Amino acid sequence: MIDAFDEFLNYITTVGPLKLLRIFWFFVYFEFARFFVFELAVVVVWKLREPARKILYSNARRRLFIERPLVSIIVPGKNEGLHIYKLANSLKEQTYSNFEFIVIDDGSDDDTERICKSLQKNGFIDLFLRNDVRGGKASAANLGYRFSKGKIIVHLDADCSYDNDAIEKIIIPFYLDDNVGAVGGNILVRNYRENLCTTLQAIEYSDTISVGRITSSALGIYRVVSGAFGAFTREALDRVGGWDIGPGLDGDITVKLRKLKYRIVFEPEAICQTSVPNSFKKLIKQRLRWDKSIIRFRVRKHRDVFYPNETFSFSNFISSAENITYNLLLNIKWWVYLFDMAINYTSLLKFIFPFNILLYTANNFLKFIIFSLFRNRKNAPVIYFIPYLPCMVIYFGFYLRFVRTVAYIQEFFFKRSYKDVWNPQKSSAHAKELGI
Amino acid sequence: METTAIKSKFEFNDNVLSFFNKSFYYLESFSTLKIDTLNKYDAIILDARDVEFARIILKKFRSHSNIEFYLKPIFLINTKTNNDPLLKELVDGTIISFDQIPETINDINQISIKTAQLESSNSNSFEVQLFKKVLNYMFTRETNTFTPHPDINSSIGYCFPTISVNFETFEEAKVLDLLEWAEKENLIWPDFLDRVYLCSNCKNGHLSYREICPNCDSANMRSEDLVHHFPCGYIGAISDFRNNVDTVLNCPKCSKNLRHIGVDYDKPSIINHCQNCNEVFQDYLVKAKCAHCKTDTDVQFLLSKNINVYKLTKKGRTAAVGGISASDFTLSDEIFGTVNLKTFATMMHYEQERIKTNPTLSANIVIIYIENIFDLYRKIGKSKERELLAEFVNIVRDGITPADFICINNPSILSVCINDVALNDAQLRVMKITDKLEELVYNNFEGFALNVFTQTVQLSKEQSFDKQLHVLIKEIVEKG
Ligand SMILES: [Zn+2]
Ligand SMILES: [Zn+2]
Ligand SMILES: [Zn+2]
Repeated sequence: MIDAFDEFLNYITTVGPLKLLRIFWFFVYFEFARFFVFELAVVVVWKLREPARKILYSNARRRLFIERPLVSIIVPGKNEGLHIYKLANSLKEQTYSNFEFIVIDDGSDDDTERICKSLQKNGFIDLFLRNDVRGGKASAANLGYRFSKGKIIVHLDADCSYDNDAIEKIIIPFYLDDNVGAVGGNILVRNYRENLCTTLQAIEYSDTISVGRITSSALGIYRVVSGAFGAFTREALDRVGGWDIGPGLDGDITVKLRKLKYRIVFEPEAICQTSVPNSFKKLIKQRLRWDKSIIRFRVRKHRDVFYPNETFSFSNFISSAENITYNLLLNIKWWVYLFDMAINYTSLLKFIFPFNILLYTANNFLKFIIFSLFRNRKNAPVIYFIPYLPCMVIYFGFYLRFVRTVAYIQEFFFKRSYKDVWNPQKSSAHAKELGI
Repeated sequence: METTAIKSKFEFNDNVLSFFNKSFYYLESFSTLKIDTLNKYDAIILDARDVEFARIILKKFRSHSNIEFYLKPIFLINTKTNNDPLLKELVDGTIISFDQIPETINDINQISIKTAQLESSNSNSFEVQLFKKVLNYMFTRETNTFTPHPDINSSIGYCFPTISVNFETFEEAKVLDLLEWAEKENLIWPDFLDRVYLCSNCKNGHLSYREICPNCDSANMRSEDLVHHFPCGYIGAISDFRNNVDTVLNCPKCSKNLRHIGVDYDKPSIINHCQNCNEVFQDYLVKAKCAHCKTDTDVQFLLSKNINVYKLTKKGRTAAVGGISASDFTLSDEIFGTVNLKTFATMMHYEQERIKTNPTLSANIVIIYIENIFDLYRKIGKSKERELLAEFVNIVRDGITPADFICINNPSILSVCINDVALNDAQLRVMKITDKLEELVYNNFEGFALNVFTQTVQLSKEQSFDKQLHVLIKEIVEKG
């Protein structure tokens, strides 16, 4: 085996760079170039502009505290009573205090109603609204937004927790630029120590979600204002009429705001902690839903961003194209690469395969360590995650890709998302009929 | 004219009729009223043309503390249909004319036979005294059920005529307290009939319920359906969907018409809008405003009371003839400066031994009997009993020396031992105490006149103390 590897090393050192590129094209073009070199460049520029941004930022903060607008915090959910209690308590710690806290119970069948009513009576909740019949997450969010009074609406998830300056941080960007329509918060994995599954997700979040969003936000192509922590101006929500039915409603509303030429930004300093699925099986269910929404919303509902009509905007085009490319097409290309290697380099497969893993692993280490220099807020020291980094190749390269492929096939050919129990059937039926 | 003709069949003068050996008093108006002397007649014929008059008279009789009044056979004449539960339940019959007087004789005899069977007993508390009286009435009328009647005059909406007659209509809740007590003493057995909610401040049941805004307590609010439009996920008050032109409901988000409930839209809930403070909420508060004391109470804090039909238990039926042996009276243990009867008896026994050894020593027993204390409680409420007794004890204590001691036999009787003074000295002290007691009550309870009787005697060396006490109490109660 070692001899064989020596032989392969000999081979690649003699064939020259072009040939190597031919064999490892997938890694070089996509993983290394796009997700490391390019992102690094953007992040470095972003970091270099930090001092200038800090001055603007403190001015914006001052303006915020002079104006002190009412912020409506809306939390839609089903059977979230116990989480609501914790959330209500933690909101009392917020540095920004001029907010109303609205909880929307979407047809819970447990103690949620009783808990929330008592919280409302005791002043922990400002407005508790309940639908006796479940209407789905979008309608619950819309109900909260309809009866909210704030100039800014912040959407939270009941099972997440928030830094005590999170509300302040997520609304400051509205004072940095009047054209900002929505701000997304930074999400950390709270239960990263629970097991391998949650640790790997923590690495993924800090990597793709955190740094990835800094990059896309800086480039103006930030795609998804997360439902777990997102802020919107009332004016922007009024113009898009609130949320449309999901799944994927977070990405959907972001696209709708983009079409209206609002700026959508990511705020890495506004921190939210969430508990991620703690088993690979649960994770599959979650990711199938997320990945299906790419087909449903990017490719189907919002395909018009690719049409050169009056709402056309180059950044929207890039945003969606980038999303489709690096999720859908990249996924297809990954299979193409596998076939390419299997057919054209059958004899070398036993070397290409381990060498790819080696490259990826090395890249993962490099990326994780370098990018961690740009992250101000981490849930654990970098050192904690290092032993787990080799697993990322399997997690990212195989596990997630496989789930994604299944999701794309299910949605593209069978429109499975309309059968998802996540939405009540009454809503899904209409969505399917309308092709949204 | 007809009445006169009928009257003439009997001996009739000055409103008194005689028939056989029975005498009847015909009560027709306040002008003929000399109620305090009416105990000597065998029965009362009460004219009920004026319902209010009849009611007042009936109440006067049945709430009287003297057995000769409260058990008096009463018959109504000239009744119109009325729904007054007192007039229905607390009379012994209704006659159409004086011609029917002979028909009442049987009932009168029956009541008198039953009355003769009653044993007198020493009452020892407000509840016992009042309940004993009610039981007497029930025994002579051969009934053993307390039936609640819906009653608009009653402050709780129900009355139990035999008991309620002893209270003012605005203090009807005290009837429930008494029934609760009797139930606890196993005298009666409850059978659920209804439930009432009473003001937590004054126990009145005349409440006005309103849905009010949780923010400003205003009842001025508007309730609307919430509408969820499925295709676009919009959800809002139904007024969001209305337009000025036609009656069709349009979605404000996607402009489509709502067509079919359950298919393209539904109404998952309601929303309330306060017109006073603009607050939006789903759950309004329900508050009840008391018509009596004006307190506005959240309904969850109202007093909830069961209205039961009560039947006498075996113990209750026995008590109706004999007496009520209620749970031990323990106020002596609780009121500072007093000893209980047992201790008092023991100490008096030592006192007897002491004076036997030395002829120059003497001791006096004082019995203080407050005859109408229960009338006072009826006025001020049973809950004041302890407070008031403690005040009484303080006054007595001030008038005697620290070596003397006081016992509360029952709420109407206090016994005191005054040592080593001459009898007339002791009597003088007791007179002063009596004045102070009367003054206290007169000044604090709207001029209520307390009837205090006292008896002061020298403690006998020979007779047993128990015997002496018994005789003294008997004498004083009969004198009162
Ligand atoms: Zn109000
Ligand atoms: Zn609609
Ligand atoms: Zn009251």
